[in-house]
Formats: sequence, C-alpha cells, structure tokens
Amino acid sequence: MMQTIAIFVGAYRELSARKIFWLALAISLLVVGLFACLGINETGISFLGWTFESPMFSTNTTSPETFYKLLFVNLGVDWWLGVLSTLLALVTTCGIIPDLVAPGSIDLLLAKPITRTRLFLTKYCTGLLFAALQVFVFSTASFFVIGVRGGAWEWTLFAAVPIVTFFYSLLFCMCAFIGVLTRSSVASLILTLLAWTIIFTINISESIVNSGRIANQMEATKIEAELANTDDPVDEDKLEELTSDLEKTLANRPTWERAHFWFFGVKTFLPKTTDTLKLLDRWLLDSASMPSRNEDSERGPQQAFGPKRVKRGEFQRAVKADEQSHSIWWVLGTSLVFEGIVLGLATVIFVRRDY
Amino acid sequence: MSELRSIISAQNAIVDSADDLAIDLTDVHKTYGRKIRALQGVTLQVRSGEIFGLLGPNGAGKSTLVKIMMTIVRPDTVQGTVLNRAVGDPVALARIGYLPEHHRFPTYLTGRQVVEFSGAMSKVDRPTRKKRASELLDRVGMGGWKDRPLGSYSKGMRQRVGLAAALVNDPQLVVLDEPTDGVDPVGRREIRDLLIGIRDEGRTVLLNSHLLSEIENVCSRVAILVQGRLVAQGTIDELTSSSRRYEIVIEGSAPAWCAESASVRMIPAGQMLSAGIQGESCRLVFLGLDALGAQPILDRLRSEQRTVVAAQSVRESLEDLFMRAVTDPTTGLIYRPGAAT
Repeated sequence: MMQTIAIFVGAYRELSARKIFWLALAISLLVVGLFACLGINETGISFLGWTFESPMFSTNTTSPETFYKLLFVNLGVDWWLGVLSTLLALVTTCGIIPDLVAPGSIDLLLAKPITRTRLFLTKYCTGLLFAALQVFVFSTASFFVIGVRGGAWEWTLFAAVPIVTFFYSLLFCMCAFIGVLTRSSVASLILTLLAWTIIFTINISESIVNSGRIANQMEATKIEAELANTDDPVDEDKLEELTSDLEKTLANRPTWERAHFWFFGVKTFLPKTTDTLKLLDRWLLDSASMPSRNEDSERGPQQAFGPKRVKRGEFQRAVKADEQSHSIWWVLGTSLVFEGIVLGLATVIFVRRDY
Repeated sequence: MSELRSIISAQNAIVDSADDLAIDLTDVHKTYGRKIRALQGVTLQVRSGEIFGLLGPNGAGKSTLVKIMMTIVRPDTVQGTVLNRAVGDPVALARIGYLPEHHRFPTYLTGRQVVEFSGAMSKVDRPTRKKRASELLDRVGMGGWKDRPLGSYSKGMRQRVGLAAALVNDPQLVVLDEPTDGVDPVGRREIRDLLIGIRDEGRTVLLNSHLLSEIENVCSRVAILVQGRLVAQGTIDELTSSSRRYEIVIEGSAPAWCAESASVRMIPAGQMLSAGIQGESCRLVFLGLDALGAQPILDRLRSEQRTVVAAQSVRESLEDLFMRAVTDPTTGLIYRPGAAT
C-alpha cells in the first residue's frame, strides 16, 4: 500500500507540475461559471441580464432544475468532459507510460521490491487521475450551481465521476498499450486519437443504420395498419400507393437488418465510449420533464432515414427506447472486456520486456 | 587471457562460504535477440563488507549483469543468490540500494521528495524515510538544496541526490553504476570518501565504473568482463602478482652477462625480461623478482663498478591489467567493443 500511495502522490505532483492541468481545471471552472450565468425565465433563456426568447426553453416548458441538468449533461459532460477535456487529458497523460519505460527511469522502479504487473497497473491508474480530478471538480462546481440556481441538490450528479473516468479509461488503455509498445508519447497520442475516431465513426454508423432499421419497421407497421383500416375500396390510387410503399419498405428490410447486424457486431467488440457517456442521460434526465416542441404533430423525414408516415416524436422515442434497451451491463461489460484485453496485452509486454 | 582465467580458478577455489557472500552468482547467461550474447556463463562472487569493482570495455556485459541482479533484465539462466536470496527476491531487493547509470529522476521533484519517494518504494516507513532523507542529503552535501526542484540541479548534484536515494533504505548492498559520472574532482573525492564510509558501516558496495583510478583507490577486489565473459576476478594484488618485476637502471651499456644470463648462475634463468638502452643508461628488467631477490644482482653490478642510477620494484597498474585483459593474446589486438555475436 505504501508503494501505491507513493506512486499516486508522485503522479499528483507530476500533474500539478504541468501547466496544462491547471489550464484544464481553470476552463472547467469557467464552463461551470458560464452555466451559473445562464438562467431560465418565463420568456426564454437569460444571460447576465439579457434575455433570449425561446419557445422551447422557458419556465413554462422546462423547470430550472431540468434546464441546468440538461446543460450539465449535454454541454458539460458530452462536450466539455467528453471531448475537449478528454483531448487535454490525453495530451497530458500520453507520456506517462513512455516516461515509465524510458531508460534511466524504469531502472529506478524495477529495482524496488514491487512486481512489474503491480507497477504497470498502478501507473495506468495514475493516468486516470487527471480525468477523475477534472470531473470531480467540474461535478462539484456544477452541483452547487444546480443547487443554488436550479434549487435541486442533485447528488446523482457525482455519478459523472466514475462514468467519465471509465470513459477516459477506455481511451487511456489504448494509449498505455501503444505507449508500452512504441515507447513514444507522440505515437501514443496520435494512434489513440485515431482509434477514438474509428470507434466514434463505427458508433455513429451503427446509430444511423439502427435508425434506418427502426424507421423501416415502423413505416411497414404503419402502412399495414393503414391498409387494414382502409374501408374505401374506391380510392384505388391510395391503395396502390400504400401497397407499393409497403413492397418497397419490405424489400429494403433485409438490407437494413444485414447492415445493422454487421455494424452492431463490430460495435459489440469495441469500447462503448458514446454509450458510456449516455448512461448519465438515463440517470440524470427524466424524459417526462424534458422540453418538447409538440413533435407528435410533425411528420416526415426530419432526420436521416426517418419514416414518412410516423410522427417525429414517436420515431425518436422508439430510437431512444431501442438505444436504452441495451443494459448497463452490456455497455459497461463489453467495454470492460475490451479494456481488459488491451490492458492485459500491454501488461504482458511490459512484464516480459528487458529494459 | 588464459593466465587470467587460471587466476579466477584459483580464486574460486578459495572463495569464502556462501554466507559471507553478498553476491554469489554462477552460470549467468543472457542473449539479446538470437545473436547478441551479452553474458556467457559469468560467475561472480562479492564478499560482504567489501567494495567490489566491476570493470570492462563498453558492451562487455557489466550493465546487463547489474540489471539482472536488479531484475531489470531477465536472464536466460542464472544460479546463485544476492544477499542469500534468489535473484529478484523482493526481500533482498528491499535491502539493496541502486543507482543506475544515466538515471532520470523527475525534474519537478525536489531532492528531498526524490529520496523520500525512493524510500517509500523500498517500503521504508514515513517517519524513518523523512529522517533519513534529511540526514543523507546533508551527508552528500545537498543539505542546502534539498527543497529545490531537480530541474535546477547540475548533473553532479543530481548524482549526489541519486546516491542519497540509493541509501535511504539503509541497504546491506549498494550497487552503483558510474556514480561519479558528471561529478567534479572535489565531488569525486567526496563520493570516494562516502563509499569508504559506507563500507566501514559494514555494507557491501558493487561499483561499476570506467574510471580505473577510482576503482583502484577504493575497491578491495575487482572483476573484469570482456565480451560477456569474466576474465579476471580477485584483489588487485592477486591479479597483478604475475606482472611483478624489478627494474635496475645503470649507466653505460648492459653487462655482457645479461645477454648470456643462462650461463650466469647469480641471475636465475628466465628472470631477465629485457635490457633496453636509454640514452647513456641501460634498464634491466627482471620478471617476478622482488627487492630481496634483486640484491645479488645489485651486488654484482657494484662489484663491476657499474653505477646504479635507479632500482625499484614495479607492479602492473590496474590500467595495465585492464589493457592486458582486453587484448587478444594471439593477435595482440584489443578486442572490439560490444558483446559477442
């Protein structure tokens, strides 16, 4: 335990010696400060005395509590912590493993009474310290903003700390693997960003294909229902149109199913970076209290592959329900398996190598 | 080299019991990749409480041997013990202080933090390591700098802090790889005194250094590695005894009996190495002869009215020994640097 504490204290000293750590922390607080400056009133959104009228966001449609939670999840977590802060964290921590295995540095540690496996895994965990500290500070500041401005002391906000740290660990395990393999900070950073981009692209592609698949199913069901309800045998044009659309829709179904099968299959073996962050949506945002634009009245292809005959809100709810049909254990479990394999390989290389 | 090897055999025959050995390694083999044979069956014995010097040209395998002891490099085979425990045993590692060559301590840490971190990694409890860090930094002359970051230190100052870090766990065995690298002459003298002090405290020191004079000054025994093989091991006296000779410088030319030494009964056959003319004087060199054995020769020279300018007993220096060890006796050429392939 003494050695673990020493390595963590050393890691904290290393982080605090880097300007980028304090810069990221300052930006975190600035972002929360901006949240605090934002407000919601009867006509729209206010910012330092100015009010911007909004039909969607006002106290008539959204409670202050929900408004700040939305800001926290959609801007704070998804964009700041999930993208920008993660980039800063990768830049800061990509050198941890290459520095560990650098000549002159590794000798000092391997000569100590600590196993290589424990040394490597402890160092890996110190790499997560940056993300954990950033999220903790951000969540704490947001907790007070939501409490004071939104009137709700939401402890579940701190779920962001393990979730975002886990999300970061999915990227950092690749960074550590590349670092131990190449001993280069630059290669670790670039290849990790490349891997992240590939994973993101596959996730998005799967999401789009899944939307298409659901749209296809809903469209077919809707047409079949309309056909069943058509009592007027005289309106042959409509009947023909419905039959034709149904045939086309059913003809496209195998393509959608096959494409989704492959994308979903590939995604299953990859870390669920996007899905991991979306777990916060499930826990923090109550869908019933979400603002609505009365979308159920709208129809048509409002988004890619959207069904023509299904109302937009209905379609979006179906897609969201499908996304959330994946259990937390599927999201976290498959990601953990990926992380375990990558980290296991990195550990084996680290343990078996001569320095 | 065969002569040196015979010395190793003799040394091994009279080696102390295993309990008196801080390092007792046999049959150490290490091959990098498939071709580079860094160590080929090295046997090394270091007695407790001595300063032992490890010598060899670049790529001879010295660092590999040290790194195997410190578990930094994994050997192909190794038998024996370090501090009476198997190589890599954590209990033994906790009792070893190690300063690698070209060490890289984090520059954002202060000298005190470096020493304390080293202590924590060696499982030294917090109060003890704090106390020892202050004491050791004072001892290596860094007391006034202990709370400044390493980034502001010179190379020699970092070396001193490294020494303090190697001693923080109160080690029984101290392994130092080029400890005076980058240190000025005054600092070297201080480090030499420190090493002697460490030895006087009953600790064992394994010193890996290129500075032969440094080794000669502080080491009681040395080992020479060449191309992954141990070619000499013993005290400097033992290793240089075969080179013992007596040199007499006389005025004028060499006496005729020198050329016919075999017929001169007063000079043991085979003792005369050479008779070189230096200006108007002549140097007579007698191998294996000490001052007592040289007296009859000196008597004869005086009886022949020869003027003896100088007479002295001469022994090979460590540098001479080293050069002899790294020279191929068949070709007379120095072995190429690097491991055997």
